[in-house]
Amino acid sequence: MLMLAPASLVLMGLFAGGVALAVLQSTGFFAPASEHSFTLRHYTAMLMNREFQLSLILTIAVAAVSTILSAVAGVALALSLRSLAGRWPLVNALVQVPIAIPHLVMAVLLINVLSQSGLVARLGYAAGVVALPNEFPVLVNDPYAIGVITAYVLKETPFIAAVALAMLARTGDEYESLAATLGASPWQRLRHVTFPLLAPAVVSSSMIVFAFIFGAFEVPFLLGRPYPSMLGVVAQRRFTSIDLAERPDAIAVSVLMSLITAVLAWAYLKLMRNQIGERPTLF
Amino acid sequence: MHRFAILLVLAACASSCERAGRPSLTAAELRQTPWEKITQVARGTTVNLAMWAGDEERNRHFRSSVSQSLLREYGIVLHIVPLADTSDAINKLLNEKGAGKSRNGSIDVVWVNGENFRTAKQASLLWGPFADLLPNIRYYGEDSRTRDFGTSIDGYEAPWQKAQFVMAYDTSRVAEPPRSIDALGHWIRTHPGRFTYVAPPDFTGSAFLRQILLHFGGYSPGFQAGFDAKLYNEASDKAIQFLTEIKPYLWRRGDTYPSTLKELDRLFANNEVDFAMSYGPSFASTRIARGEFPATVRTFLFDKGTIGNFSYLAIPFNASNPEGALVTINHLISVEQALDLSGATESQFPITPDKLSANDRRKADALRRGPATLSNEELAAHFVNEPDAGYLTRLEQDWLEKVLRR
Amino acid sequence: MTARRIGVAAAAAGALLPLVLLAVFSFSRNWYWPHLLPGEWSSRAWQYLTSPASDIAPAIVTSLWIALVVTVVSLAVALPAARVLAWHQFPGKRAFFFLLMLPVLAPPLASTMGVHGLFLRFGLTETVPGVMLVHLIPAVPYTILMLTGSFTRFDPDWEAQARTLGAGTLAVWRYVTLPAIAPGLALAAVFAFLISWSQYLFTVLIGGGQVITLPLILVSFQRGSDEAITAALALVFLAPTVLAFALTAKYMRRHA
Repeated sequence: MLMLAPASLVLMGLFAGGVALAVLQSTGFFAPASEHSFTLRHYTAMLMNREFQLSLILTIAVAAVSTILSAVAGVALALSLRSLAGRWPLVNALVQVPIAIPHLVMAVLLINVLSQSGLVARLGYAAGVVALPNEFPVLVNDPYAIGVITAYVLKETPFIAAVALAMLARTGDEYESLAATLGASPWQRLRHVTFPLLAPAVVSSSMIVFAFIFGAFEVPFLLGRPYPSMLGVVAQRRFTSIDLAERPDAIAVSVLMSLITAVLAWAYLKLMRNQIGERPTLF
Repeated sequence: MHRFAILLVLAACASSCERAGRPSLTAAELRQTPWEKITQVARGTTVNLAMWAGDEERNRHFRSSVSQSLLREYGIVLHIVPLADTSDAINKLLNEKGAGKSRNGSIDVVWVNGENFRTAKQASLLWGPFADLLPNIRYYGEDSRTRDFGTSIDGYEAPWQKAQFVMAYDTSRVAEPPRSIDALGHWIRTHPGRFTYVAPPDFTGSAFLRQILLHFGGYSPGFQAGFDAKLYNEASDKAIQFLTEIKPYLWRRGDTYPSTLKELDRLFANNEVDFAMSYGPSFASTRIARGEFPATVRTFLFDKGTIGNFSYLAIPFNASNPEGALVTINHLISVEQALDLSGATESQFPITPDKLSANDRRKADALRRGPATLSNEELAAHFVNEPDAGYLTRLEQDWLEKVLRR
Repeated sequence: MTARRIGVAAAAAGALLPLVLLAVFSFSRNWYWPHLLPGEWSSRAWQYLTSPASDIAPAIVTSLWIALVVTVVSLAVALPAARVLAWHQFPGKRAFFFLLMLPVLAPPLASTMGVHGLFLRFGLTETVPGVMLVHLIPAVPYTILMLTGSFTRFDPDWEAQARTLGAGTLAVWRYVTLPAIAPGLALAAVFAFLISWSQYLFTVLIGGGQVITLPLILVSFQRGSDEAITAALALVFLAPTVLAFALTAKYMRRHA
């Protein structure tokens, strides 16, 4: 148990203390706005707020779609590269490069590539398909959040692939070879041997991806629409409002976001645990 | 040798040890203290100046010319605390106030105005009053010393720089720009999809809304004298109606708006829309110089004027070096430094001609100006003060509810 | 075969296209619709970054120093925790693991302001150690997650067997444990480094402008909308991590 102490100290001490202060500031103890008594009105006000409700739906949808696409693409990428990654380690590095690109930079790049006067539209112009920018389909700041989802899929697929590749590198392919000698078809091997091997890593990394997207600000701010916007943008906008009285609202939004992510993540892990069964998992 | 010795002492001592034992100067003491004493105490100290650091020319200017003149004339070492956003500094001070850190703060001077000043003053985050006691404040008139976005200044910040809202167009695309809000409305309707503005609460988008509000309020002087609900309701009804009517004729039918000024610049440069806008009169010249706008871009103003404001230098409540801060601010607002800064960054010259000597007036007239920047006289002749911040918050809210979400 | 080819193509495109684009942006001038190539080329951005006025060099040194210490400390804190979590069953283990993960699950805004308040009360702000400490909050959960994965695939009996064969603690670690967890360890180290290297909000608040790291400068220029300098800075920002990925790549090789 002593082995857990340092980690607990770092995370519980620093992080939990910070969250406790945030909870205080959002429940009527935000001194700069002259609040000195307990109240839940910031929470009720936000929960009743139409913008908050719309943003919540949008946020869950964008985070879920991006996570699913990234997980599927990430696993596919890892599986297609696994044999190569063993022999040629630089493949791993190649996969990991996009992880290092800051989300902010990825968003700026995507605007320059996907917008109506971006590089893809210009290729269309060169090919004679598009004559004017507004003839090119709307792919950023669009109603379906295509731009936001694209940015996240490009950033998170490599993350999930890297984790899966590390998992595959550890286990090698003995199990699959064994299954093959026992007469399993390629699909049976994938379904009953490889996927279960990968599942714990993919489940926990996709949970992190979901939570990250759920709380993010930069990408939806630059690639999304002003309304409705994702919750991170809503919180940030209220937080930087010139009216100090809106700050407790902003903190309430982010505390609510933490709660919602925690509940969703917990439910997801529970569901996955039932799916995979009681294997030696880390969650 | 002398300078080297100062540097050595500072390196050994950083900014903390020489003042560890001495209580900080208070604003009340400042009134009793002769200016010579302040400069004497400030000599040999370090001053931390927090400012937005996302501009190449400005960073170069502060690293070389400003730092050197401060060290040479006052023995002060300038250290820039780079900010991506002034609100970062305000949030930091807010938390420090909450945690009771009332001394030895890491910022001595902060570049601030408008909403951030209002927040800071509301939460008592500033040291002062001090501005009216600075020797060089004499170059600045009442217009820059009384109210900042309608918030009473009361000596808590000293005017430093001036800015004014301008619009940009490309002479190769638009022959004659619309020079009034009505003409702009007409232009938008006859050129569908070729105009948009940045979504508030972005600073520039919000300024565009205020520009429209002032127009429909007949540029009433009442806008600067606190918040007047009657004036607001009359003006905002018409302004919101105007914004709603032009909406279907905007870029992407007003279905979305650019979130940042950068995005509007990009749309303009790539011929998606025909106008850009900024709160910096020299922005188009800067973009041309950087190769982000075509060389044929020019700026224009509305005949009845565009809103403008000053930005200021303030001292945080927990500054560890108030004497150094005072001397630095006094130095930065001097005529020579104002000339230097405007010369280096092509920013608007903040001091009116009637406050200048004949010699300085000649220098101000001879300041380098980019091809797309309007003259000081033309800008000054069209300068309209910012309305009270109360109008800003309500207008942004009304825009969100009645224009954006419709 | 084709699947592998598509995978390699996707990975190469995902890695190289952004780098190439950033390089082009950093040298471009007057690049407007509908042109596929910049109207002019310019080295303005790189001249600025290599001039002392940009303050890039000290920011890189500070960022590197902080990220390296954070990496070492994260691993030191996470290794014992990951061993226990992977090998031992105890009541409430899952809930405990979930709590450890919370810092990466909660949105940044929820904790940063409160954490800043906490650090102020302990006098940890505006110092490099304070910034290192605060970077541990997001770095440690990732490290634990990666390492726990490694340890679950590693049978504790191997260590016991080596010990019965007479190997000392160090030898067991060097010849048994380390090789077995090397891929996960390398990945965890790279992630810890990367998380610290790219922190913005925590560094701004806790560093208070006294600790200046590369992301602070990058974000300033992005907000200042100088595209060429932002692109050049992004490349400078990417260089060490790309290098770190390449260096650690060989540890990712299969240890069958």
